[in-house]
Amino acid sequence: MVRLPKILTLFMFSAALSGCVEKSILDDIVLVNGLGFDYCDGVNIQATVVYPDYLPDQPPKDKTFTGRARMKKTVLQDISRQTTDPVVTGSINTVVFGRELAEKQGILDLVDSFHRDPRVGSTIFLGVIDGTAKEFLKGKYGIRSTGEHVAKIIEHNIKHEDLPRTNMQRFFSDYYQTGKTPFMPLLRKTEAGNVELTGISFFKYGKIADSIPAEKMFFFKLLSDKYSEGLHSVKTKEGEASVRDIRSSHNFSLLQQNPLKIRVKIKVNGIIDEFNGEELNPSTVKSVEKEFEKIIYEECMELISRFQEKEIDPIGFGQFAKTQIRNFDMENWLSTLYKDLSVDIKPKVTITETGVIE
Amino acid sequence: MKKLFWRRKKKNNDNRDKRLEDLLQKSKDFRSVSYKNPKTQISFTLSFIETLVDEKILHESALPKLLEEKFHRIEEVKDILPLSEVEITNDKDQIEQKLLNGSVLLTIDGDKETYCIFSAQKEIVRNVTLPEVEFSVLGPKEAFVESLKHNLNLIRRRLPMKELITEKLTVGNLSQTCVAILYIEGIVDMENVNTVRQRIKEIEFDEISDNSYILQMISDNSHSLFPQLLDSERPDRVAATLTEGKVAILVDGSPHALIAPTTLVECFSSFEDYLLNWTMASFIRLIRLFAISFSVLATPLYVATISYHYELIPEDLLGTLVASRGAIPFPPILEALFLELTIELLREAGARLPTKVGQTIGIVGGIVIGTASVEAGLTSNVLLIIIALAALASFTTPVYRIGNTIRLIRFPILIFAELWGLLGIFICLCFLMAHLLRLTSLGRPYLEPLYPPRQYDLRDSILRLPFTALYRRPQYLRPKRPMRFNERDLKKKKDIDE
Repeated sequence: MVRLPKILTLFMFSAALSGCVEKSILDDIVLVNGLGFDYCDGVNIQATVVYPDYLPDQPPKDKTFTGRARMKKTVLQDISRQTTDPVVTGSINTVVFGRELAEKQGILDLVDSFHRDPRVGSTIFLGVIDGTAKEFLKGKYGIRSTGEHVAKIIEHNIKHEDLPRTNMQRFFSDYYQTGKTPFMPLLRKTEAGNVELTGISFFKYGKIADSIPAEKMFFFKLLSDKYSEGLHSVKTKEGEASVRDIRSSHNFSLLQQNPLKIRVKIKVNGIIDEFNGEELNPSTVKSVEKEFEKIIYEECMELISRFQEKEIDPIGFGQFAKTQIRNFDMENWLSTLYKDLSVDIKPKVTITETGVIE
Repeated sequence: MKKLFWRRKKKNNDNRDKRLEDLLQKSKDFRSVSYKNPKTQISFTLSFIETLVDEKILHESALPKLLEEKFHRIEEVKDILPLSEVEITNDKDQIEQKLLNGSVLLTIDGDKETYCIFSAQKEIVRNVTLPEVEFSVLGPKEAFVESLKHNLNLIRRRLPMKELITEKLTVGNLSQTCVAILYIEGIVDMENVNTVRQRIKEIEFDEISDNSYILQMISDNSHSLFPQLLDSERPDRVAATLTEGKVAILVDGSPHALIAPTTLVECFSSFEDYLLNWTMASFIRLIRLFAISFSVLATPLYVATISYHYELIPEDLLGTLVASRGAIPFPPILEALFLELTIELLREAGARLPTKVGQTIGIVGGIVIGTASVEAGLTSNVLLIIIALAALASFTTPVYRIGNTIRLIRFPILIFAELWGLLGIFICLCFLMAHLLRLTSLGRPYLEPLYPPRQYDLRDSILRLPFTALYRRPQYLRPKRPMRFNERDLKKKKDIDE
């Protein structure tokens, strides 16, 4: 048996080398799942972590710690001085920023460290808080831990409502994409102590440039995302109808250069959920379609002119133009070309169903 | 090996003969009785070992004839005796061997050179009973017994064909155990038969008491944990594998037959798979495959994720895991080893004790120890569930030996999971895979049809396709006649409206 000593040596080495692997036993670590950053004095930042303290046979109890330092990692060190177990970042699923920080200092340096950390997934959610992140994270919402709770809210609003798809991966994809402005959902803690999704904030060079309220999100999703599912009410002469969008798509086409002209075709398939008029006959359905198309046209045009004014491009017209035009002048895009851009919106609404009552 | 055995020496016959007599005289159950034929006045002596001889044959068939019929010379005895195995010989080797197998030696006074030997063997055989290791709900309920003759009968009855060849060999320097090699000529690849024959002939060991001895001695890699010959207690399974072109080895005194060559996937197939509809059989095989991988990997994955990869655990599960682990004073590996060892203890205790006590042990162990250790805060209940399921899953293996293998290979994987996390598990699996790839059964690849990939053989491996699809015999056996039937001859079933 020549092989036996070999195998034994191998085993000894593997046993010895296993000391080099960092161990983190599940119940001996602080599983941070929410992290918030706030403005503090212009030099330092204030970070708040929230982690669930899991107890047998009852919902987890959230605990928060706050620390101050110049960078994110050093903040975690500051927080580690207060906790019983090492703080780990692997189960973070929500990172939020206080509005003041996002407006004054910018958030790029902070997000960047998550981007580099291999333990942190790229599908974590980022958000901006109306108010301070510390206050927001200290709240107690539902039976889940706060980080998870917020992540669930964002997730279901993407899937079933009118928040465009967003996470850290998409944020950075938009950020590094020339000719597109990244965005984050805007959240706040209501007086009643709940979390509410209040709109979308747009970031220019890591700082908030503009935000839109929740009512406009539907139209923004129509312009920027492929699939939109949301409810919208339409007033016609015959009565008011609420239309649930079940499928939507948008298609850009370049009509003309110098000055740029882009046509956006928006197709919406929807069903009428509710109608308070007299009778819902084919002609009323037609007028609902027409009316809805008009609303989409107006709202989208308004959004686009607003973006042009603020010199942000979250829909990605610049990116689109770059793919269509050879030697596109990206340098002057936001400052000059974007302002002269004219967009032609052609909405097409089809009501496919009006419910089971005939 | 040094030859220590006196019966091997061929020279000095007289001397040796004397020693035989002397040695036999020492045994209290050796008898030598003299009689006189009243008609011819010839005296004759019957020598036999009392405990091996059926007295009924001796007293009711042999003695009356010997005393009543006329005979003068020993050659005439052959015509008188109404027994099938009567021989006149002077080969002392043969005499000795037969005497020790329950034959009776007849000598006539005055003729010291020729002997008559006739068989009056007493056979103590238990009845053919239900298969216990490979029980099946459907199908034949016969299992092999300890007698080679009976076992051959069970197989021959199923395959009444002249091509079924039974070769007999004697192995074991002291035990002189009879070993039969069975194969169907014209189907089997003779290379396999030659390999088996040669390997069995070369066995040098004093006693062969069961086919497991032979299995361990003639395996290609006898250090491997994986059984490279399949043992079966079902004559129907053996008959079916013979028709595929395999070789069966039966050992006298062993209620199991060995089937060679075999593959890993065959170890996970039960004969009942062929008795069920093919969809059901395939489903059961897939379930087994899942059960085996679960049994091997569940505990190591638990230890690895808890100790190293907390970020892989779904968020909703985190609470359950952390809460159940919270009060446990041990690291995950000790907790897992403690429970695994408990299960092993229960298994071993259950196997060693008589059936009725064994069941009690199972219940006591399973319920009492499990619950108590969770209540005492020694183990987490999540792990208890995982380990209990893993143990249950390992019992789904239809071949007992591979079940034992699975029982053992969990431990190195578990230790490596503790050392290096998921990486360790994969290192371990790589070693396992390398070992399996190198393994052969009678020189045929053990992982076939997975590697080398054989598309046709896959039909009866992980799945079991209908019999119409199994028109060929397994390729790795290199059968002389590769086709079971010609698929083009298959008649199409008539549709109802035709």
